[in-house]
Amino acid sequence: MSDNTQDKKKKVKKISTKLITYIVPLVTVTVLVLVAVASSMAKSRMTEMANETLESSISNQADNIESWLETNLKFFNTVKHTIEAEKPDNTQLQAMLDSFYGYNSSSPEGLYIGCSDGSFFKASESDFTASNVTDAEWYKQGITRVDMAYGTAYRNSENELVVSATGIIDDGDSDIKVIGADVTLNEISIIVNSGVKMSNASSFLVDKTDNTILAHRDFSLISSEITENSSDELISGAAKAINSGDYKTKEIGNYVVAFSEISGTDWILVSYIPTSVILKTVSQMGNLLMIIGVIAVAITVLAILYVVKRVIAPLAHITDSITAMSEGDFTITVDSSSNDEIGVMGNKVTEFVASMRNMLTSISQESEKLKDESDNSDRVSKIMFDASESQAEAMKQLNETVDQLATAVNDIAQNATTLATVVADTRDNSDKANESMKQTVEISQKGRQDMEKVSAAMSGIENANNELVESINKVGTASDEITNIVGMIGEIAEETNLLSLNASIEAARAGEAGKGFAVVATQIAKLAQTSAESAQNIGNLIGEVHKLIENAVGQANASAESIRENGELINVAVDTFDQIYNNIQESNQLIEAMIEDVQKVDDVATNVAAISEEQAASADEILATSENMVDMANNITKSSQDVADNSHELAGTSQTLTSYVQKFKI
Amino acid sequence: MRKKITALLMIALLTVLTLGGCKSGSSGASTGSGGKILCLCTDLSDTFLGTLFGAMKTHASSLGATVDIVETGGSVEEQANQVAAAKAAGYTAIIMRLADASTALQMNVASNDIPIIYVNSQPSDEHLTANKYIFAGSSEEQAGQYQAEYVLSKLGNPKSLNVIIFEGEPGHAGTIGRTKAVKETLKASGCTANYVFVDYANWSADTAAYKLGIFMKTGQSVDAIFCNNDNMAIGAIEGMKKYGLDYTKIPVCGVDATTDGCASIEAGEMAFTVLQDADGQALAAVQAAVALGNGGTIEGIEYAESDGKYIYVPFTPVTASNVSQYK
Repeated sequence: MSDNTQDKKKKVKKISTKLITYIVPLVTVTVLVLVAVASSMAKSRMTEMANETLESSISNQADNIESWLETNLKFFNTVKHTIEAEKPDNTQLQAMLDSFYGYNSSSPEGLYIGCSDGSFFKASESDFTASNVTDAEWYKQGITRVDMAYGTAYRNSENELVVSATGIIDDGDSDIKVIGADVTLNEISIIVNSGVKMSNASSFLVDKTDNTILAHRDFSLISSEITENSSDELISGAAKAINSGDYKTKEIGNYVVAFSEISGTDWILVSYIPTSVILKTVSQMGNLLMIIGVIAVAITVLAILYVVKRVIAPLAHITDSITAMSEGDFTITVDSSSNDEIGVMGNKVTEFVASMRNMLTSISQESEKLKDESDNSDRVSKIMFDASESQAEAMKQLNETVDQLATAVNDIAQNATTLATVVADTRDNSDKANESMKQTVEISQKGRQDMEKVSAAMSGIENANNELVESINKVGTASDEITNIVGMIGEIAEETNLLSLNASIEAARAGEAGKGFAVVATQIAKLAQTSAESAQNIGNLIGEVHKLIENAVGQANASAESIRENGELINVAVDTFDQIYNNIQESNQLIEAMIEDVQKVDDVATNVAAISEEQAASADEILATSENMVDMANNITKSSQDVADNSHELAGTSQTLTSYVQKFKI
Repeated sequence: MRKKITALLMIALLTVLTLGGCKSGSSGASTGSGGKILCLCTDLSDTFLGTLFGAMKTHASSLGATVDIVETGGSVEEQANQVAAAKAAGYTAIIMRLADASTALQMNVASNDIPIIYVNSQPSDEHLTANKYIFAGSSEEQAGQYQAEYVLSKLGNPKSLNVIIFEGEPGHAGTIGRTKAVKETLKASGCTANYVFVDYANWSADTAAYKLGIFMKTGQSVDAIFCNNDNMAIGAIEGMKKYGLDYTKIPVCGVDATTDGCASIEAGEMAFTVLQDADGQALAAVQAAVALGNGGTIEGIEYAESDGKYIYVPFTPVTASNVSQYK
């Protein structure tokens, strides 16, 4: 892998180196973070614990001091109450003080009493001295309260720092009696100094009314005042805290400082411990963690190296094999003894090499064969090229022939089409003739029918004429009878006239009485005369009518004759018509036969046209096809040229392949 | 390899975020009803306590909470039993006036984890837990501080003072805090205080008057008298009348602004007292009970200290000029 044949040479790193460069910083960072977090947490927790311990210690000390003070105070108060209750006289008082002397070890000098008149009582065995009672500090403190309480520390006549518990004896006396008892600060100092429950911690007790130190490990500092200006950082810091009344645990300088008020007094207990002491363990722990961290990193590195060596070693062999393989050497063998992925990889590489070997062998053989075959095909393709060239030539000729054929067929088709058209026209015309003929037949038929009707009418006329003659004859008869009647009327008129003449003779004889009758007979004679005249006229007229009728009968007979002649003529015409109709009918049948024949001709002509058109189309197709064939023949020629080229190339390629394959070591 | 590390880091980060999310989710305070508050009082006939617990009822109803006030008397056992039964009875918070301030730890343990708001009697700091067991009241020290400031201003910031202090009972938080604050305030002002008489008068007027008599026998002079409560101040005034001390020149200060105390001020006898704001304290206590009962904190309640343990409702100074408002 290191001698890469690629152009840009990559820098090859070992996998183990890579793993280490990735994992070691990670592990280191993790360990560092863990150490830092653990140290910081430990620091805060331990500081907290130290504070708590300090607070607990100071609280315990304060309780001790309080209870010590309380116990003593209770004792003193008991004595005081006894005195107040007993109201003893001076002797009794002396005896009481004596009796309580030595009872309380904290107050070795016992109780003492000072009065406003300057008198002073104390236990006989006590070494306590009081020169000027009312000026004494304890007396001054005592007059400020009835219940005994501790005052501020002061130096007694022995120059000892003492604290007095004092109070006014409330016995109803008008004089003020102050009872007192001293406790030495030494004892409190012992409690303060020995009561610390935390190693390396120290305490001191301060009276906040005047900031004097009441107890301190360093006795020289007792009764000295602590000020905010002190050069000692601890002292000045404590003074500042006390002055501001801030009693929370805090860090002052290099110390952690706790404060506690002592109840029942104005005292503040101060405890402190150097920060370094608290943090010493923390830094020790930090160091330890650091060391463990470094060891852990080292072990991790070694472990990685070992694991990488164990796991990745077979890879090196495989790498060499693959390198050889990339140079074409397939004679290698690969180690596949490992039982992990790398083993599988080795196994697969071995299989790959074997199959490559087989493949290369067969490729080599195949390429030999291929070479032979390609030479062969080269030769064949050359022959084919020649053949195809001549085929193309032939094709071209064929094409020309087909072209001519197509032209001829097209002409035929055109002609056939024209023929079909003409025939079709003829058929139309004959159809029209047929139609006309049919009309002619119909008309002639109608003419014959009309002629028959005329014949019938003529017969009717003849009959009517005959009836007319008959009627006229009857009229003649009737006029003869009328002539007879008119003769009778004339005879009647003559008789009437004779009668009227007789009547007129008779009337003239009758004289005047017949005068009227004579008038009527005259009139009747006139009428009979007129009637005879009319009858004469009618007879004349009828004679004339009779003559006229004889004329009419003669004429009617004449017309009857002519009518009969007409009827005969008409019958001849009907016969002629029949003749014509039959002739026309026959010619019609002939025309129909002709039309059928024309129809047949038309069908044939149409078919011929269609067929010749199809032929023309086919001829066109044949032409197109033959053109295609020409093209194809040309293409084949070209292709066979390409084939020839390709097979030539193939021959070259197979030659190259053979030479390549021969490079592999198999 | 690097991808895997990144993935691991992402998983770790997600885990942390998820856990963080759970945590913040579970602490979400439920709001809504003000809850049910149990109020335990030692003595409802006491003027101040009566006012205090009465005011709680008013404030609770306006905050949507219900309160039940139980008078326990001075029995610590009764108080402990009440506290122990509170959770089962459905109370969400307890407001109580301890019969004995030193029993706070016992009550904390008995509470079955429901919050307690101590009022009036302040337990020691170590027995208070932030937002759980808290004190709502007034700072004893403020009372003493106000007294001292008043006297200093009244007497024209003198360089030195002869001072009498009448204290309550020994060990009482009021006694310790008020006395300490008087002394510290005087000291801080640069005045040299000469404590001519400092003694317990056990909150009693008679004792104060009697002890003033004893003081008179010592023949010392006095410039100012500080009393831990009004009763003792009234006793001191009685004593002064008896012994011919001029209380118009020597200011007498009390604490609590009781009816008698206010009457005394109005009569021109006592000079000064401070009023514990019962209404303000009751409001603070109920607000705290509602907030803590719903799992919240006292943050945001007026006068709440940043340590989550105290709500200090300020005292109101009472002098002749404003006494008429507080009768």
